Amino acid sequence: MLEFLFLPFLWQGALIAVEIATFAMVLGLILGLGLALLRLTGNKFLSGVAWFYVWFVRGTPLLLQLVFIFDALPAVGITLDNFTTAVVGFALNEAAFSAEIIRGGILAVGRNQTIAAASLGMGPVLTLRRIVLPQAMRAILPGLGNQAISMIKGTSIASVIFVNELTFRSEQIVGQNFRFFAVFAATGLIYLFMTSVIALGQAALERRFDHLRERPVAEPSLSAASERAPLPDLVAEITGWDAQAAGAEPFVAGHNVQKSYGKREVLRGIDLDVRRGEVVVLMGPSGSGKSTFLRLVNHLEPVDWGEIRVGGRYVGYERGAGGLRPARNLAKARADARIGMVFQHFDLFNHLTALENVVEAPIRVYGEDATRARARGLHLLQSVGLGEHAGHLPHRMSGGQQQRVAIARALAIAPRLMLFDEPTSALDPERVGEVLAVIRSLAASGMTMLIVTHEVRFAREVADRVVFMDEGVIVEQGFPAEVLEQPKHERTRRFLRMVDAKQSHVAPEEISHAHR
Amino acid sequence: MHALLSLRASSLVGIAVAALWGAPTLACDRAALTAKYPALVGRTVRLAQDGESPPYTFRDAGNFETMRGLDNDLAVATFKCLGMKTETKIGKWSGLLPAVIAGQADVMWNNLYYTPIRAQQVDFVTYVFASTGALVKAGNPKKITALTDTCGIKGVAGLGTVEEVLLHKTSDTCVAAGKPALEIATYPDKPSGMRLVQAGRADLMLTDGGFAGNVAKTNGAEFAQAFLIKTNYKVGPGITRTFAGLQPAIADALQQIQADGTMKELMVKYGVDPSLMLPVEGFTQ
Repeated sequence: MLEFLFLPFLWQGALIAVEIATFAMVLGLILGLGLALLRLTGNKFLSGVAWFYVWFVRGTPLLLQLVFIFDALPAVGITLDNFTTAVVGFALNEAAFSAEIIRGGILAVGRNQTIAAASLGMGPVLTLRRIVLPQAMRAILPGLGNQAISMIKGTSIASVIFVNELTFRSEQIVGQNFRFFAVFAATGLIYLFMTSVIALGQAALERRFDHLRERPVAEPSLSAASERAPLPDLVAEITGWDAQAAGAEPFVAGHNVQKSYGKREVLRGIDLDVRRGEVVVLMGPSGSGKSTFLRLVNHLEPVDWGEIRVGGRYVGYERGAGGLRPARNLAKARADARIGMVFQHFDLFNHLTALENVVEAPIRVYGEDATRARARGLHLLQSVGLGEHAGHLPHRMSGGQQQRVAIARALAIAPRLMLFDEPTSALDPERVGEVLAVIRSLAASGMTMLIVTHEVRFAREVADRVVFMDEGVIVEQGFPAEVLEQPKHERTRRFLRMVDAKQSHVAPEEISHAHR
Repeated sequence: MHALLSLRASSLVGIAVAALWGAPTLACDRAALTAKYPALVGRTVRLAQDGESPPYTFRDAGNFETMRGLDNDLAVATFKCLGMKTETKIGKWSGLLPAVIAGQADVMWNNLYYTPIRAQQVDFVTYVFASTGALVKAGNPKKITALTDTCGIKGVAGLGTVEEVLLHKTSDTCVAAGKPALEIATYPDKPSGMRLVQAGRADLMLTDGGFAGNVAKTNGAEFAQAFLIKTNYKVGPGITRTFAGLQPAIADALQQIQADGTMKELMVKYGVDPSLMLPVEGFTQ
């Protein structure tokens, strides 16, 4: 057997198998990613085309595909040599299989990750490259390792189109000397060697993309001179915000805003203005449309009817002949609007450290100098009391800590408006205070804010105005003292009684459980 | 990318620019042939073979890059007579004829039987009758000496071959005579069939007579030939129709190679019964 194990004739065949598999794998993955993305677009036609491709290629034998490319295409003037045919055939096949593996990996990354990225002004390509794919890789790699190994072994069927790879060569030797056991055993060992190399490569890649594994982070350090700046000062410095500039001019102007999901009307004509520097708290039972309104303000979702202007401009709409129509570059419009958003479930990027989460948008969306962005990001983390955690991954932090990182992340884009969507609802009761403290100090900085919350005491404390919503309309609004102490409407009274009773016994998320 | 791959490919196909070593001395009037077919002189013929069908085409034991065999040597001699170069493309048997039909190769010279259906797509030049041989384990444990002895045994043949048809016919005859039917299985390539016999999974492998004779001769410790049946199938190269003038030139050259005794000499050398030889004949439909 040894005489065959070291036979150059066989190793040349192994090299051919490796070459075909490498070219085909690279091409197939590029095509597969494209197909996966097509299938994930909302566009029925594009997704249908991708589905058809996958269905057809997966459903027909590779052997026939190879013979077809090699022997039938010459009839229409396309003559490919055998090596090219094998590469093309295997790549087209790999595209179909890897498209499904990649699609599965992308779907495994929560949609909250892409929404968070969108709120930071990140475009689809940037989001895919920086946020989705790095996290999807964990789910994708084992499948692709399988594919690579089965492809290298599967190249043997290309012998029907004159590719003399390893298996065919060993059969030729057997055809000449009939010593099939010795020859095939040697061939098997050569295959085992090649597939072992792939398995090692797979293991290395899996380590590289395992974002839950602690990795050495260059410990961010501040110069000794830098003091921990209080948050309001820092915000003023970042945003260039002047609390004195607050005026009567509405900064957010919503007019007759309507939104439905299917047949369900969520917003039924909301008129809501927010002045510069004003803190407005939205309250109301689950399903009253509060969170939906927030998502319309920064155009995470489109408005069905009516309009919202922020700083005098539409976010991602253009005024056309027949009214408003979506602008072409929505991500850029979001980035230009500089609206920071904080979510109920924090939605930090799971594969990035606290500091990386904070500096992602400043560097990638706004093109800031990395060193400066990092220094400022670190200041922001310090000002929310998390300087020590800059190098930690989200899963190592408590909910309260994650939410404070999320606030720092939103502040890092120098927002002119902050949206808080139930920022404490998902927190343990003992963690609520630390997050509210940060929001409170932010309110003191003069930041314009729209906050959805059930924390009545907190609302009374920070809100300039409380807006009570129910069933898609504004029921009443006014100073916290008016709305919270002497509500005019029975619906408001009932809600406040219920919230009051619940807040003295249970965690607040139980009130709003059905919201997401 | 195509160009890049093409470059690479040329070294992959296993191109064996026909080795003259082992080929017979020139057995033809080359001057006359090249004068008759001047357009062919110096051109390259892409020869499709599978390299795993001894004694017709197989790799040389001492140097795997070199092709040997009756069909290979006849092809080399033929194209040498015509002043042509050859480039051998080696692939699975089932892919050879499709490649010639598609123009990816010019001539399949690999124990190909002439059939009218095949001749609808490629031209033929035939020079020998096919035979069917029965390969059994050395010592012929089931004492099989003719097709009529095969009732109730396990017989195997290549998938879709004339031998497979013959096995089924034989089985029907057995049943009609009140004897047990054959247990028939098929294999995708000859080495697989041989392993079935070797491992005792089959009692008899019905295959090409030349192949069976060669195996029995070179590997007598393992195999024996139980019997040989002459068939009416004519054998010869399948030739593309896109290579103008190639078919008549091959016929003319083979005629000379046959006339001067070279063909017989090669048949003896590779263990193929010379009595199977038949006058060279061309088919263009």
